[in-house]
Amino acid sequence: MWGGGADMADPALRPIQRDWLSKTLAGLVLGAILALACSGLFARLNTAMPLGVRGQLAMWMVPPVWLGVLGGVYFFSSGVRAWLWLGAASAFVTGVFYLL
Amino acid sequence: MRSEFVRIYKAVHTWTGIVAGMALFIAFYAGALTVFKEPLAAWASPPVAGRMVPLADTPKLIAGVLAADPATARDFTIHMGDAEHVPGRMGWQVRDTDADDHDESSVRHYVGTLDATGQARIEASHPSQLASFIDVLHRVVGLPVDSDPNRWVMGLVAALYALALISGVVVLLPSLVKDFFALRLGKNLKRMWLDAHNVVGIVSLPFHLVMALTAVVFAYHDGIYIVQDKFVHDGKWGTAFQRQQPAAAAPGRDPASMLPPLELIARAQAFAPGFEPTALQYQQVTGPRAVVRVWGKDAAAVSPRARGGFAALDPYTGKVINSDFLPGRQSTPNLFVSSFFALHMAAFGGTAVQWMYFLLGLAGAWLFYSGNLLWVESRRRKRPRDGGEVPAQRRDVRLMAAATVGVCLGCVCGISLTIVGAKWAYALVGDANAWLLPVYYTTFFGCIVWAFLQGAAKAAVHLLWLAVMAALAIPLTSGLAAVAPGLNMWVNTSLSSLGVDITACVGAAALGWMARATARRVRQGGADSVWSEGPQPCLQGGVPGVGVQAK
Repeated sequence: MWGGGADMADPALRPIQRDWLSKTLAGLVLGAILALACSGLFARLNTAMPLGVRGQLAMWMVPPVWLGVLGGVYFFSSGVRAWLWLGAASAFVTGVFYLL
Repeated sequence: MRSEFVRIYKAVHTWTGIVAGMALFIAFYAGALTVFKEPLAAWASPPVAGRMVPLADTPKLIAGVLAADPATARDFTIHMGDAEHVPGRMGWQVRDTDADDHDESSVRHYVGTLDATGQARIEASHPSQLASFIDVLHRVVGLPVDSDPNRWVMGLVAALYALALISGVVVLLPSLVKDFFALRLGKNLKRMWLDAHNVVGIVSLPFHLVMALTAVVFAYHDGIYIVQDKFVHDGKWGTAFQRQQPAAAAPGRDPASMLPPLELIARAQAFAPGFEPTALQYQQVTGPRAVVRVWGKDAAAVSPRARGGFAALDPYTGKVINSDFLPGRQSTPNLFVSSFFALHMAAFGGTAVQWMYFLLGLAGAWLFYSGNLLWVESRRRKRPRDGGEVPAQRRDVRLMAAATVGVCLGCVCGISLTIVGAKWAYALVGDANAWLLPVYYTTFFGCIVWAFLQGAAKAAVHLLWLAVMAALAIPLTSGLAAVAPGLNMWVNTSLSSLGVDITACVGAAALGWMARATARRVRQGGADSVWSEGPQPCLQGGVPGVGVQAK
């Protein structure tokens, strides 16, 4: 499942920490950054589309990605892993966005 | 899936649901009615005579009104078809510049007519704001004004709602196949309610996902645009919707030389067959950027807004300037954006889809009501199997049950009485619009207070019968207006207006069934429940004689 890594042999046996605050904050903060970066990537890759409609579609992308991340964040086995994985994903997409 | 995840998501589902549930009930109940905004407006509109100037005289009407009040050239509308809620052939609005874009209450309405000598006359009109009032309740989860802060509250509720949907699916997934095809009617009532909650939730999940995500966008789009403008669009977002400046400004165009409305409509229909125009919205007709939006609907296509879509034409040449918002003629990216709106507002597929959305909306309202009920039942203190004393129910559970009954039925009663009040207030005091808000909130808060004073069980029966009477008052008011013209009321006989009366009758019957079933439960059901008429008014701590102080 989510958050599987090489550091533990059997992720199915890893204890799941609830970490309500840190997981929720990761979903809220990194979910927002990831959503914004995804919408930016969409806008960069569709420059042939007129700005008006491209911008609208980019805006519409933000809530589904953000709330999707926030909804899925409790599948991470700990708040730390949520921050690490979502942080890495945000950094990657943001990096691609600025490189393009 | 590991059962620990199910437990975590069950906690998410419980908390998001209990926080947002009652606000969502109001949003969905009022939203289901908002699907039929036009029939509600038709029902509540007093008859006006002599305002539908013949279509053939429309060019003369436009020229006359613009001569009398040149500022009207900024924006006015020619209505094609007649209906009770259409103010007249030519109407326009003047907005208070300080008011919020979405605030309809500060808008002043005018109509233009021709008198017997052919002179243009301008009159103020006072259209019923009943349908907009219900729409506002829908848009800002029961708050009185559609303002920015209230929409942010709504957006927060919608975000919690999205989380409740995701977590609800996660909780149900492991047992979906087993539970989905099961509606276990029988002795275990909580099991039956849970099965029903799950079935309704899963069957209407696509509808609910659309509603949650679009509602979040409706609340926060301005903020998202500002952030994206800074980081994505390099500050150019403001230029996205500017039209090109005409090469040479041609000042002082004569609106009398515009094409007549029927000709403009013919041009729009030639461009988009199947498009049925309902109104022409003229903008800046004396300026260099004159445009007429031919508004209409196409049941076979996706409409970008609840009222349909439009083709933008040059009113002098009839040339189509823009079809970005024209049902059936949109580019694929625009169609995507429009479909988000259409999926929220049932602006596709015609009347059949509107009825489907009406039922899905009511089912959604029931979903939130049943969610609160399950929260209450999960915390029930049962009487021991070997008999013994009836335990007192927890105080927080009794309060939540009373709040659920008061808020949900308060909204139902309040909206029905507001509909009725729109006609009575017009007959008795003239200005019906001033009475919408007091009637609704008096009823709403009155029901809540009653629920807390009487406890959920008794209040549910009382308030359900009140809801029956309030719903019945809608067709009764129409009937009374028909037989007693001296009351200064009216009965509109269009199909859509009569549809409001008929739907209210059906609603009253459904509420009556609920009232009888609830009364039976209160009298005969197990006494170890907040739904029993045992002496448990919810503002008191414990039950006298039982001696168990609920904590």
